[in-house]
Amino acid sequence: MNMFENLRMAFSSIAANKLRSLLTMLGIIIGISAVITITTLGTTLRATIKNTLNSLGSNLMVVYIQQKNVDNYYDTVDVEITDNDLISVEMVDEFLEKYPDEFQMANENPFKSATIVNSRNTTVKMNLVGGYEGTLAFNSYKLLSGRNISTSDIKGKKHTCVVSDIFVEQYFKEKEEPLGYALNVTLDDGMVQEFTIVGVYKYNSLNNGMGDRSKMSTPVYIPDTVVNNLKGIYTEQGYYNVYFAYNTKYDANDMKAHLTDFFEEKYKPNKNFGTEVVSMEDQLKTIDMVINIVTLVITVIAAISLIVGGVGVMNIMLVSVTERTREIGIRKALGAKKSLIKKQFVMEAVIICLIGGVIGIVIGILNGELAGLIADHFVASSPEYAEILGEITVVPSLSAIAVSIIFSTLTGVFFGIYPAGKAAKMNPIDALRYD
Amino acid sequence: MARTIIQMSDIIKRYYIGMPNELQILNGISIEIHEGEFVAIVGASGSGKSTLMNIIGALDKPTEGSYFLNGTDINQLSDKELSKIRNKEIGFVFQTFNLILRTTALKNVELPMLYAGVSRKERAKRAMQLLEMVEMKDRATHKPNELSGGQKQRVAIARAMANNPSIILADEPTGALDSKTGRLVMDIFHKLHKQEGKTIVLITHSPELAEETERIITISDGSVISDVSKKENTVISLSKIGEEADVQ
Repeated sequence: MNMFENLRMAFSSIAANKLRSLLTMLGIIIGISAVITITTLGTTLRATIKNTLNSLGSNLMVVYIQQKNVDNYYDTVDVEITDNDLISVEMVDEFLEKYPDEFQMANENPFKSATIVNSRNTTVKMNLVGGYEGTLAFNSYKLLSGRNISTSDIKGKKHTCVVSDIFVEQYFKEKEEPLGYALNVTLDDGMVQEFTIVGVYKYNSLNNGMGDRSKMSTPVYIPDTVVNNLKGIYTEQGYYNVYFAYNTKYDANDMKAHLTDFFEEKYKPNKNFGTEVVSMEDQLKTIDMVINIVTLVITVIAAISLIVGGVGVMNIMLVSVTERTREIGIRKALGAKKSLIKKQFVMEAVIICLIGGVIGIVIGILNGELAGLIADHFVASSPEYAEILGEITVVPSLSAIAVSIIFSTLTGVFFGIYPAGKAAKMNPIDALRYD
Repeated sequence: MARTIIQMSDIIKRYYIGMPNELQILNGISIEIHEGEFVAIVGASGSGKSTLMNIIGALDKPTEGSYFLNGTDINQLSDKELSKIRNKEIGFVFQTFNLILRTTALKNVELPMLYAGVSRKERAKRAMQLLEMVEMKDRATHKPNELSGGQKQRVAIARAMANNPSIILADEPTGALDSKTGRLVMDIFHKLHKQEGKTIVLITHSPELAEETERIITISDGSVISDVSKKENTVISLSKIGEEADVQ
């Protein structure tokens, strides 16, 4: 008697008790569907976060100053940072000269709010922000026309600026060319400064919230050195931390190594302070880890429900064996070997668990899709998220599905083997006499 | 002389129900049954005939004594080998039919062939032939619950014949049937005996049924008290023994 015959037999006895079989499967269905739901949500969340962070600029790294030798927390005395300990402008310049194609500085330095009156006599508000070449990238703003603030703008302390598409709508008439236009901006302290527009970027609202487009105040980027000038600081200061946007055609790990090596070298003579480099990729890894832990914990909880389901299967199999004592006797009298009876009952348990597992997988995937639909609906109702998140794609975890199938089979074998053994060991004479 | 199918000598069967209370059901039974014989084993309830039947059918092993079935020493066999013997050498017909209820007559007849490893096509073909032989072909797809007692027993006989066994072992095959359908079932046994030359062992407490056979072995209190073969014309008044048995 081959496997196929065995399968047919198992199916026929499961089909003979449809309701009972379904109820037996319930534990397995709940367990597996919980696992699949959670893992589907986990993989979907991970994919969505990854996409979002990528669109926010995963090519960012930050170098910051950190006190050296803090291994022993209690014995370490906090040392005051002096100006000499800061990352100097020269260091950054030297670094950027060494890697001109690889890196752009991306620091951002909010300055003041300011206003300007347009030709329709409307006051347009803005926030002046000191920036560098990589600052737009830092905010994941895309340049629509013109150029970024350049190194020469920064070195020359030129009064150039990059404005948002929203500012252009607010200030200019339709089809008016903003590039090259000189804005006479009134700062909040009443000073008037002239800035020439060199670029227009597309504003996205995730970081700042969305309001009425015609009344919004959007950032206008000007060279950071100009900000310092306007603040009345004429000596160049160092930085506590420096953001860099790296060119994505290079490998992230190489880029991180460049930064680490360069600044470690620079800080070797410094007794008290060193630098630390953190990349967006590192943050991604941390988020990944958190998702993994959450998934694991919930999977373990779901596994407990699988065990409970398995015990249910065992219970029903024991009932089934007792109920079918006479049938077992008949089969034995007709020449069924012990091993065959055993196989038949194990097969039944496995098939119950497998069917339960498959139903659970389907329900789990549907749950995931449902959660995806709800999330999509929520995102669609808040456009500031929609822009950055895009459509949420539900990704069922294939490995979880494979594991579920294997696990439900094993549950069937494990919890089926004892009742099957009981059936196989029956004495045919007693079994035949059983009512 | 025809080949010996069953050779039992000094079969003793004891049950142990706690150490001091051992219960001896069979007290040294010796029987020889030859190929093509139609034998009745008669005895009252409690006489040990069911225990004897279990041993003949390889469902149970004797405590002492030897039993050769078709030349094989049953006492030496493992559980697996006993299964094979039951499957190939013995065709059981039970008083309560013992059909598997949730499957069709055809599938019931196929079952012993399934265990013997006969291919699906072959099984279905032979099962159909067997059902035809017992005039149950038109009920092949019916489940046992949709059949009358007599019909069930005919299906059970077809099933017993499935692997063309050395002996048909029928335990009170008409016990649960009325006299009319019982007659029909007995006719099938006669047909199998005469046309197919089957060796049939009929276990019964009814002297009338036993009378129909060629040889009557009477069991009482675990011993053979008479063994009468009609062919050898040594007929003893069976009805008398039967009455005695009933009284007991």
